[in-house]
Order: sequence, then C-alpha cells, then structure tokens
Amino acid sequence: MILDRTISPNFKTIDEVNIASIQTIVLANGIPLHIVNVGEQPVMKLEVSFEAGGWFDYPNNGVSHFTAKMLSEGTANHSSSKISEFFDLFGAFTEFGHGLDRANVVVYGLTKHLSSLLPMILEIINESVFPQRELDNLKNISLQTLKVNLEKNAFVANQVFRKDVFGAQHPYGNSLRAEDIQSINRDDLIKFYNNRWKNQPCRIFLSGKISDAEIKLIETFFGNHQIAKSDISSKVLPETDYNSQDKILVEKENAVQSSIRMGRKLFKRSHPDYFKMLLLNETLGGYFGSRLMKNIREEKGFTYGISSNVAPFARDGYFIIGTDVKKEFTQQTIDEIYKEIKKLQTELVSESELETVKNYMIGAFAGSLNTPFEIIDRYKVILGEDLPLDFYQNYISNIRQVSAPEILEMANQYLSEGSLLEVVVGGK
Amino acid sequence: MISYEHFVLNNGLKVYVHQDHSTPFAAVNIIYNVGSRDEDEQKTGFAHLFEHLMFGGSKNIPSYDTPLQKVGGENNAFTSPDITNYYITLPAVNLETAFWLESDRMMSLSFDPRVLEVQQKVVIEEFKQRYLNQPYGDVWLKLRPLAYKNHPYKWATIGKEISHIENATLDDVRNFFYTHYLPNNAIMVVAGNVTLEQVKQLSKKWFEPIPAGKTKARNLPKEPVQTEARFLETEAKVPLNALYKAYHMPGRHEEHFHAHDFLSDILGRSKSSRFYNKLIKEQHLFNSVNAYVTSSLDPGLLIIQGNLNQGVSIAEGDAAVQDVLDEILLNPVQEEELLKVKNQAESTLVFSEVELLNRAMNMAFAANSGNIDLVNQESAKIQAVTVEEVAEVAKNVLRKDNCSTLYYQAVN
Repeated sequence: MILDRTISPNFKTIDEVNIASIQTIVLANGIPLHIVNVGEQPVMKLEVSFEAGGWFDYPNNGVSHFTAKMLSEGTANHSSSKISEFFDLFGAFTEFGHGLDRANVVVYGLTKHLSSLLPMILEIINESVFPQRELDNLKNISLQTLKVNLEKNAFVANQVFRKDVFGAQHPYGNSLRAEDIQSINRDDLIKFYNNRWKNQPCRIFLSGKISDAEIKLIETFFGNHQIAKSDISSKVLPETDYNSQDKILVEKENAVQSSIRMGRKLFKRSHPDYFKMLLLNETLGGYFGSRLMKNIREEKGFTYGISSNVAPFARDGYFIIGTDVKKEFTQQTIDEIYKEIKKLQTELVSESELETVKNYMIGAFAGSLNTPFEIIDRYKVILGEDLPLDFYQNYISNIRQVSAPEILEMANQYLSEGSLLEVVVGGK
Repeated sequence: MISYEHFVLNNGLKVYVHQDHSTPFAAVNIIYNVGSRDEDEQKTGFAHLFEHLMFGGSKNIPSYDTPLQKVGGENNAFTSPDITNYYITLPAVNLETAFWLESDRMMSLSFDPRVLEVQQKVVIEEFKQRYLNQPYGDVWLKLRPLAYKNHPYKWATIGKEISHIENATLDDVRNFFYTHYLPNNAIMVVAGNVTLEQVKQLSKKWFEPIPAGKTKARNLPKEPVQTEARFLETEAKVPLNALYKAYHMPGRHEEHFHAHDFLSDILGRSKSSRFYNKLIKEQHLFNSVNAYVTSSLDPGLLIIQGNLNQGVSIAEGDAAVQDVLDEILLNPVQEEELLKVKNQAESTLVFSEVELLNRAMNMAFAANSGNIDLVNQESAKIQAVTVEEVAEVAKNVLRKDNCSTLYYQAVN
C-alpha cells in the first residue's frame, strides 16, 4: 500500500501532567527548605532566596543590585579571588541573582560536593565584608558595561518601556543609570546587607538528585543560626494607577533597524483574567505560529522575529509586544500590529486555531517540566506569589476552559484603542 | 553515560535510539552533514538561508509548524560552519507526527518561490539584527577572513555579505537540496519515552521510501600553516576599545583538542582565571576578558577577546595580554590549576546530560563526526590531559606567528 503523506497521523491531546511533588521541611530556626528530588544525573542546584530585590531599595536605586553582586567579593576569611577559585575547583557554578522582587544565591554542582560547598555558601551569605577595592572595580565594570548596553536598541527600548509602564520612581520601572552606579557607596550596601541578607529569613530550594544525606547537610548548616528579627517592615509603595499611553521615539540616526515595544501595565498571576489573557497573548504573538509572526515575518519579511508576552511578577505585571524591524517599515509594522489586535477584537478565533494554540501551550508547558531545576522554578513562583499549591496542577484545565468569546472580550478589555504605550528606538 | 541502540535503513539513514522512560516526552534530532563550510565562496550564507526554507512547507505538507504545534510539539534548528541541525520535542504519544513531518521534508520541499522571497528578507533582517545593528556585532565578519585564508571557515555562517543572500535563486535551492539533504547524508536520533521496535517500525514506514542520493566527497581547501603574525585595525561607533586574538588549533576530535580547551579555560574561562586576575582585578586594564575555543570539526581557533576600560589603548591591553601569555610559557600550568578546569569541564558535561534534548544532540554530534562512542568518551578524555600536555600545546599554539590580532577602535 502506498503511504499517503498528505494525511497527518492520529494524535492525542494531553489532559494532565504529573508534576513531581515538592517536599517542604522547616529547619530548626524556622527557615523553610523546599526539595524536588528528580533525575538520574548526580547534580544539584541550591538556591537561597531573600526578600532583597529591587523592590526593597527605594529610593536608593541600585543598592540591592550591588549588594547581591558583591556578596562573593570578600568575606572575613576569604578574598574575592579565593572564593572564585574555591567554587571553580569543585566545578561548581554560582549566580548572584537580583530580580525585581527577590535576590538569591544559586550554586549548581555535582551532588557529591555539596558538603564541601556549604561552608563557603554560608560564609558568603552571613560574613560578607564588601571590600572597597572590589566595589570600586565592580562599579567601574558596571558603568562601562552599561555604556555598551545603551548602544543596543533593544536594551534601550526595554528600559524606556518599563519606565513608562510603571513610572520612573516605581521599583519595576526604574533601571540602573550611570548616576545610580556612581552614587553607590559601601555604607549603604552594608546597611542593606544587614537588614536584608545577614541572618535574615530566607527560603532554600534544593533540586536534583537529592537524598536524605543532602537534606541532613542543609539542616546542619542552615538550621542552627539564629534568624534575626527584621526591623524593617515590607515597604508599601502607593498604588499608582500610572499607565502611560505615550508614543515615545528615541532617534538613532545610524540604526538600520528599529526596536519597537508596545504594551501596558497588566496584572499578577492571581488575577481572574490571567488564563484568558494568556490565550489572547499566545494567539497574537506568543509562539512561532502566532498571528504577528505569520503576518510580520512570514508574509511580509519585515523582521527576524516578533513576539508578545504576559510578564507577571510578585506585585504587578505587564503585557508587551516586541520586535526589531527594518527601519523603513517601522510605522507599517505598528499599523499591522493594530490591525491584528482589531481582528481579535471583532472576530472570534476559529475552533481550529484555538485548538492549535491550546495544544501548543499545553505541550510546551508539559515539556518544560523535564528537569528538577525547571520543576522547582515553578514551585518558586507559587511560593513567591502566594498562589495555591495546585496552581500548575490546574494549569492545563485552566487553559482548556478558555473560549473564543472570552479571548475577544479580553482583546476589547485590555487592548482597546489608546490603551497601549508605544516605544520606538531607531527611527520612523 | 548515555545508552543507545542503532540501526541503518536501506537508504543509508543512520538511526540512533536512546530510551528514557522517566519522561512522557520524546526528542527527534536530525543532523544533516552540511554547513557553511560546504558553500560556494560566491554564494555564502546559503546553508543557513536553506535552513529557513526547510520550514516553508514540503511536498505534501503545506505548513511544517502548524501540525506540530497542534500535537503539542516544539521545534527549532540551527546552522553552523560544520552542520545543520533540526530538532523536535513533543509528547511521546504523538511521536509519529514528527516522523511524518521530517520524512516529508527530507523527501522533497515545496520549492515555492514566494517562500524563498520572504525568507531572503527575514534572513537579511537577521543579518542586520545580529551582526550590523549591535555594538561589536560585525567582529566575526572581520576576524574570520583574517584568521583563515583558504579554508571556508573564512566566512561567517550568516554569509559574507547581504548581496549573497539577495542573489540566491530557486535553482540554487534545488541543487543544494538534492546534493546535501539526502537520507545517506543525515543522522537521526530518537530519544525519550520510545522503544527500539517502535522507532524501527516508524523509520521504515516514513523514511525508508526516500531514495538515497549520491553524496559528494567533501574536499575542502586546507588552511596552510600560518607563518607570520597578522594584524587588522578597524573602527566603529562603540563605547569601548576591544581586542581580539585568534590562534590556530586542532579540530574538535583531533589529538590534543582537550589540552587546548583547558589552556583557554586556564587563561580566561571564569573569575579565577589568569586573565581575570591580572587584567581586570590587578591591572584594571580590561572591563571584560575571555578565552575560549571554537570547537569546529576542521582545525579551529583559540580566541582571546576583551573590552578595554575607558582610556586604555588597545596596544597597552594587547601588551598586557602578551605578558600573561609569556608568563604561562615560563611558569607552566600547575596541577591544581588543571584540576580546576577539569572539574569545571566534567561538571559541564554532567549538566549537559540533564535535558533529554541535549542528550539527543550530543549523540547526533558524536555520530556525525564518525563515532557515536565519542559521546561517552568525553569524561575519559578530560581526565587524560596532563600538565605536561597543556604546557606543550601552549608552546605550540600561543606563538605570535600563529596569531591574528584585531584592534577594534571605538570612535564617537
């Protein structure tokens, strides 16, 4: 029999996904330890996470960032070079992550080295000394890296966009400027460190091939020191209803492309419209087969890529459409984006397209739970944003439930005419 | 350790199967043994442009992406100087969809002129976005022809110039397809929640009807030994001066590759490297500095690159780099220094095997280089390197007459 290649094979939809469960232990001093034990490779990731991100340094923008980055630049017993050498010798990789909400120390390594690594990890967190010389060096490096970044249109466009969505004063809206970096001083960092890091409450996430022995180690190293009572309460910023609809153009004469960013302030994952908005976003620009990608890239060839995103954080969120396009087609691209939005506001998404979008989203979601690190990151979101523990167990059914009329409703409610901010870096 | 089974179809397609029943997913990775090194010098950038066309519909399937998205799958591809690689991850229950899609485009593309026209534009925008509209984006467009005089590594995979992409014709596309996109010029790895029997049955059903073709023996011009130092100065509107140095070294599977790799790691992989300590921490000359190897299949390059601090001349930075290089020849690498980079390499290797798709790719690369067993020999090769070997390769490779130096001057 001749094979008919025009007919696609039968397929099955995914209706549920088994996410490895998380185990939580509270250490003697009250620190919660969360564990995901998955995988065959003898590796682990240890993350110690503090309420020490950008949210907490207002009005001294940059202090939280530099505190995190300086942790490994010297302790009472070890110089910056010795600390780097130490981790490298065990083939361990460190990250000193700084986000809008939280900051963290992350160590990846072979599980067998955990016992050797722990003393240094604890030393960095609790006995960092912030040598002036290293700080000067880091400030200098940061200033010059910033200069290079400011030459990248996409970098500038993202900065301008966030500033305009949240306002220049808002911790989600501000970004590190040269003057912020210059005014960073050691005393401010030490103060922030004492208030936010040293012996402060934290969460520990341990993932990979983990046995009782590793859990015991964490209990021994992290469970016995006294946790200080933080005397600073979580700062409450006035709720701004700031949501600009500006049209901003940053001219770059020599640019051959324009970076376009359009979008608006949106909401957190706990918002009742979250899943409906995810479906709208996916259809519009969330994947390779999206309408924007088909129109702007695959039909017109204006760009290498265009996408849209729902970006939720612990305290707020935004929606963004972004692309880098041939400069001459900047305005035409913006017009086409509005046309695609208009279509979603007036015509129901067809059953077949909706099926593709949903199946793709669900497949991508299920496929992103393959490693212990990916799984624990999902739990981090749940814990960091106070979501129900079954948030991701219900993810698939929540996506399945969204209907075409709801997508249309979302498009009208959130993307109505005049509600989007436009940023262009390059030219029109 | 990655376990695998192997069979070959009648048309020469080599298939490798890696079973992992702990995941509900499968990965299908197809590598075609063609890269930008196989291009005509007057038609560069073609292998990569062609990769884009592979998504523009095949003979019996008008859209490649939509049917895959419909069954919950994801895919992508990349082109390098050596190979072109296509990969899919999807729920293992829908494995057959991957076979249907991949076999149809291996059999024949749609050769739709409209697809070529649009993808030419898309690739030109990619060229601009990555290589022209970025600070230092054009470095490799300049460094490659400086370091390579004969071998096709002298042009970048994106292409030598935009006009080459603009001038591509449908005849070029057809020729390229029937020369290189043959079952006997490809390797398929199927990994995840699959069985050998299932993969055999699906491979026979979907791939075996594709006729084998005549492969051309690869006969690339060899790069002659460099005998004098090369130098190029260029300028652009960037904030900081930058220095690039490229030294010829062996290819990925040639003798002493790992010793060269470790030499570059010791010089400039991480914050405890010699460059970082000397040039950033002690002397405050550089803002960033790294050393790494290109890992190409034919003889590659050991690269040193760094951005200088404001007010530091490139010549001053270059001299300081040279001092560190002289130092490593005088005071060879110590056991502990080597142990450190070995441990980093070992750890990187183990982490690279956490993801199913990465395991599939590692297997495909090894098989494409002629020996699948290489995928499980990395660890032994890492451990076999000695300080004496590193000292020896340092002496051979870090010679001024083996070096191409690029000064990238910042202008306002």
